[in-house]
Amino acid sequence: MTELTRLEKWRGALNKCIRCGYCYEHCPIYKSTGWEIDSPRGKLVLLYGMLSGELEPSDYIANKIFECFHCNRCQKACSSGVPIQDVYNDARAFLLESGFDVVGTTSLTDHDVCARCLNCVRMCKHEARSFVDGKIVTDRLKCQSCGSCLDICPEKGVSIRTGYGTNPNELIDQVQSYFTDPDNPDAKAVVFTCGYSSYPGLQSSRYDKFEISKEYKILVTACSGRLKSTTVLESLERGAWGVLICCCPEDECEHGGTPRVKARMKTLTNTLERIDISPKRLQVVEVPQGNPKKFTDSAQVFMDEIRGLGPIV
Amino acid sequence: MNSLSIDKLREIVGDENIRDNKADLYVYGSDASVHEAMPQVIVRPLNIEHVQAIMRYANSERIPVIPRGSGSGMCGQVVPVMGGIILDMRGMNRILEINPQDGYCRVEPGVVDDDLNRALKPYGVFYPPTPASSVIATIGGEIANNASGGRSVKYGAARDAILAVKVVMANGEYLSFGSTTRVSASGYPIERLMVGSEGTLAVIVEAAMRFVPIPKLRCLGIAKFNVLSEAGDAIADIMGSGCQPSMLELIDKIAIIAANKAAKLGLPEVEAILLFEADGMTKDVIDADMARIQAICEKHNCFGMESSYDEKERTRIWAARAKLFPSLSKYDERLASTSLADDMAVPFSKMAATADKIHEVADKHGLVMTAYGHCGAGCMHTKILMDTDKDFQWEAAREAVAEIYDFVRSVGGTTSAEHGIGLSKAAAFKKEKAASLDLMRAIKKAFDPNNILNPGKLMDGPDDWVHATNLRYQTTKAEIQ
Repeated sequence: MTELTRLEKWRGALNKCIRCGYCYEHCPIYKSTGWEIDSPRGKLVLLYGMLSGELEPSDYIANKIFECFHCNRCQKACSSGVPIQDVYNDARAFLLESGFDVVGTTSLTDHDVCARCLNCVRMCKHEARSFVDGKIVTDRLKCQSCGSCLDICPEKGVSIRTGYGTNPNELIDQVQSYFTDPDNPDAKAVVFTCGYSSYPGLQSSRYDKFEISKEYKILVTACSGRLKSTTVLESLERGAWGVLICCCPEDECEHGGTPRVKARMKTLTNTLERIDISPKRLQVVEVPQGNPKKFTDSAQVFMDEIRGLGPIV
Repeated sequence: MNSLSIDKLREIVGDENIRDNKADLYVYGSDASVHEAMPQVIVRPLNIEHVQAIMRYANSERIPVIPRGSGSGMCGQVVPVMGGIILDMRGMNRILEINPQDGYCRVEPGVVDDDLNRALKPYGVFYPPTPASSVIATIGGEIANNASGGRSVKYGAARDAILAVKVVMANGEYLSFGSTTRVSASGYPIERLMVGSEGTLAVIVEAAMRFVPIPKLRCLGIAKFNVLSEAGDAIADIMGSGCQPSMLELIDKIAIIAANKAAKLGLPEVEAILLFEADGMTKDVIDADMARIQAICEKHNCFGMESSYDEKERTRIWAARAKLFPSLSKYDERLASTSLADDMAVPFSKMAATADKIHEVADKHGLVMTAYGHCGAGCMHTKILMDTDKDFQWEAAREAVAEIYDFVRSVGGTTSAEHGIGLSKAAAFKKEKAASLDLMRAIKKAFDPNNILNPGKLMDGPDDWVHATNLRYQTTKAEIQ
């Protein structure tokens, strides 16, 4: 299949997209940048432009189409019934066939650092990683950008170039700025939330006195399984009274992250307990997709406990 | 084309708030309407000083400036027909103040409606205009289009909620209009002139709006009808009875089928249903209102009446109604829903005739059209469902749109209830407002002598919407033009 044939078959589906934009609220990448082109609607419009001949495929467009955490929330929420991920998949295949060397949010391997342990190959739920000619290769059509391979790599040899706030260093930067913000003396906790299950809070507005954001900071991690112990420890070190981690229920987690984060946090909790830090300060809760109330309620219960414990001294 | 310097704009807002890649321009060239056109640059101002500097520059160079919220408009209000600068106002997205004592809130224009209501909720109040697109719609866009929604029947539209605005004029001047007091008697209410101006007069950079208490109780009812016009007549009688429903929605069979397909609602696929809600602080009062509405519906041969105070059930049904606009694409696999003849307002007594007329026109032209809307507020919506690949369907749509609005005017209705005019309704708007077009143009000139603010819209919009711009449906471009 060449040229735009792969996209041609979606012409009708793209006509069905009424461009209402209701998909915005579901997209963590759009919420991170606020630019139209990063929204699901924006990406569909790009595909439209290529089909109509008004846009030439380019590196810029190709990378945009590959920037996606595959949470699939946009498609589930689309009342027009546009099969967004299927359309994206064919567009991505077309772009690769056309020779675009795209990265997007797919995982990259630093071959100089890679120890060839093949842990990432074995653990990838999407069979996106393989070992070919002595090197780890990422299948960019299969990679779901969940970041689990980053987490599992003992050599820190895997990265996602554009994390939209979900990469470990970006998370730490956000924690740092939250606890050093002089205008927010009420900062108490960090809530790391899996982007696949829950991403509550304001759509894209800012309100300094909003009751949710006042005492805790919500940070999206993509799959919660990639949340490192060091990120949690650094949060506590930088002023958090406690850390709550929201992940998918185990049977809903498509990336195998929930068991990993649970096991890791259990170990960390034991360690913290040995240095007299209450296990209540580090909690993991399962939040199903599309259940913001569970998220809010869990956070509320957690904050009540944290307030009772006070700061770590 | 004008002599736009992107470097000049970069100096004002910084490189990170400028987009000029062709792909970005293309994406910002359309909204939820059928239109598209290319801007020259996207600029995201973060504060009033940015907006002032941008406007001073644009005015000196005669560059069009189109303020844009989330681009959820259905009539092409933010489609840059003359190129220029798209001012993406979503960078100014702070809720500045919630003042429960004085009964107002102040926000920047890029605040999303749902976000504002989430922030207001702890105070026990809500901002009522809330359109169905509240999950994406910005307050600036709502003011510019005089948005309203399901509860406008009781609580009014954006124009009823606005107290004061701060704007940047075309020449960069920063001005305040209105007052946050509940009453303000004298002088021209310029803050209200901003409402419905579709970005043609000034750039709104701050707005103060009133809010209302969240009622303790809400009860939602459903009445089913086998004859569409009987549902329409019931609306007129309900509104003439002295009842004050907090919601009164008509949904015809086509819309019911689409909503069922999209949200698996399981609504009965009858000719029409009325969704009605009464709210208040005491159950007795609500029950009395509901009983009166139900009695009127029964008089008009409704059947299968149901009502519920259950919040979950109300939320489920309202969520499906809110998504009706995109859901219409699911009505028939072969047809796409297009934002044409998308809204109008008619007297309550003409609601039944209007609903029938919509279907008559659709049948005549071989199109599928639906009749639904916040009919308790006098608002009727439709969409044209058609095969957008077929040239003749567009020609049919052009005739259908004209006939619908001819009818609306003939019964004393008006071209837009809440969606605005933009490009696709400009022809009908100009016919309706023929007597005041010169006055509107004079007002526009007083605000914007160089005609840089969203030019080519409202009274200056096209007579032929089909050929006014590229249509966003790519298959039609070559054939129609």
